[in-house]
Amino acid sequence: MRGLLASTGILLISSAAQAAEEKKGMPQLDFANPLTLSQVVWLAIIFFTLYLLLSRWALPQVAAVLESRAARIAGDLDAARDAKAAADGAVAELTAATRKAQAEAQASVSTAVDAAKAEAAVKANAASAKLEAQLAEAEQRIAAARAAALGALRGVAATATADVVTRLAGITAEPSTIEQAVDRALAARAA
Amino acid sequence: MIDRTDGPKPTPDPARPGESFEQRLAAARAKQGLDPKPAESSSGQGMNSSALSVGLRVGVEMVSALIVGAALGYWLDRWLHTSPLLLSVFVLLGGAGGVANVWRLIGPKNPGK
Amino acid sequence: MAAEQTIDALGQFKLDTALGPLGASVNFTQSNLMMLIASALILSLLYFGMRPKAVIPGRLQALAEIAYDGIYSMCHDQIGHEGRRFFPFVFTLFFFILMGNLLGLLPFSFTYTSHIAVTLSLALVVIVLTTVVALSIHGLHFFTYFFPAGAPKALAPLIIPVEVISYLSRPVSLSIRLFANMVAGHVMFEVFASFIVMMAAAGTFGVIGAAGPLALNVVLVGFELLVAFLQAYVFSILTCIYLHDAVHLH
Repeated sequence: MRGLLASTGILLISSAAQAAEEKKGMPQLDFANPLTLSQVVWLAIIFFTLYLLLSRWALPQVAAVLESRAARIAGDLDAARDAKAAADGAVAELTAATRKAQAEAQASVSTAVDAAKAEAAVKANAASAKLEAQLAEAEQRIAAARAAALGALRGVAATATADVVTRLAGITAEPSTIEQAVDRALAARAA
Repeated sequence: MIDRTDGPKPTPDPARPGESFEQRLAAARAKQGLDPKPAESSSGQGMNSSALSVGLRVGVEMVSALIVGAALGYWLDRWLHTSPLLLSVFVLLGGAGGVANVWRLIGPKNPGK
Repeated sequence: MAAEQTIDALGQFKLDTALGPLGASVNFTQSNLMMLIASALILSLLYFGMRPKAVIPGRLQALAEIAYDGIYSMCHDQIGHEGRRFFPFVFTLFFFILMGNLLGLLPFSFTYTSHIAVTLSLALVVIVLTTVVALSIHGLHFFTYFFPAGAPKALAPLIIPVEVISYLSRPVSLSIRLFANMVAGHVMFEVFASFIVMMAAAGTFGVIGAAGPLALNVVLVGFELLVAFLQAYVFSILTCIYLHDAVHLH
């Protein structure tokens, strides 16, 4: 398509150039015309001025805008990265703190439980010791009372026996004999 | 029990699901050329357009080398008064130069030298 | 009118003085006037586009930035890191040619890129610049460019003239390519437009028939817009390639 058009164009130029040959030929190749050369002089002036204006004034402006944008985007992305890192750090710190607090709480709970258990054991021991002592005392008291009762019973039994013997047999038994008999009877009962 | 739901974990963005903040940040940084990119082979040959334009370039290169050769020969002839000799030699050299141009254009490329 | 029915496809390229007697006194042509307009357009695009200096660009600023970025990356990709030194030059060249091509498509305007004197001058600026750059970077080592390393010494009398001609043909090919494309497009415009006028003058049937060349010209405008961009691009990318050769000297 392109080559075809271009070659058609070149054919057209050559035929047109031949057609115009008698008159002028291609104006572009008319180097006798002073305007062809003056055009080049003005071209040089305009092109050089354009180059100076672009390279000294216009393009640095564009470069400045592009650079400031790149710097700003870079700064924003750096800030985002730093903020992300800080957030990650904070989250990690928080997790660590939470874990530590939980561990501490658990430790303190278990020490408290242990202490309470120990205290309770101590109290229980003390209470049981006191109860033992009271029991022992009570037993002693019972024993004493029993002994006293037994002692009193002996006297009563002896007197009662002497009375019974006197009333039944009409005899006055020897007190020592009665006491021995009572003792024997008591021992037999106790046995 | 330790609760792990507040641990560091990629939080999916609602705007673009399936892409974490890290991925997006890395992509944005790579796009700006802030982080070193993975090595990428840049082929700087910008002229491999269609065969037609290459063909057109071949013609122009041949013709221009011929013109230069002929012009050189003509001026050398006028200077040295060897009228047809140098012109014919330089037209031949111009043709060879055109072939050299074309070879450089479409021949095997050895970049880096 | 009938005597004047030959197609004058080349009259459009004829130079005249512009700006009245003042322009005539300094031989200021209408071609130069178009160059001034093109330069003013380029400068005002950059000036009005970049005036907001916005972080988020508007339309005009985006256009100016795309223009800057496109040429900058072309320089950087083709020439390498040293390309930024030549960026203003390539930018000037690209937009001077592009504006010339585009302005030439407007009716009643003049296409300065259709003058071989203009395109050859631009190409000579390019080639002189590359030669100066090569000489200033590599000194006399530059001349080894004309004799590839490893070639047999006996062939030197053949290779050196061929390489010199090949080097000298660069500005010629640069200028002819741009010149020929622009002239071909504008000659075709003129020819088809003349067909329209001729057919329309031939009566009712001719008016209907004139739709053909008219449609062709409409298509041609789109095509020439493409060519305008493409030729400016080719001119500047070849400049970049030549500058790359000058800087790296292979």
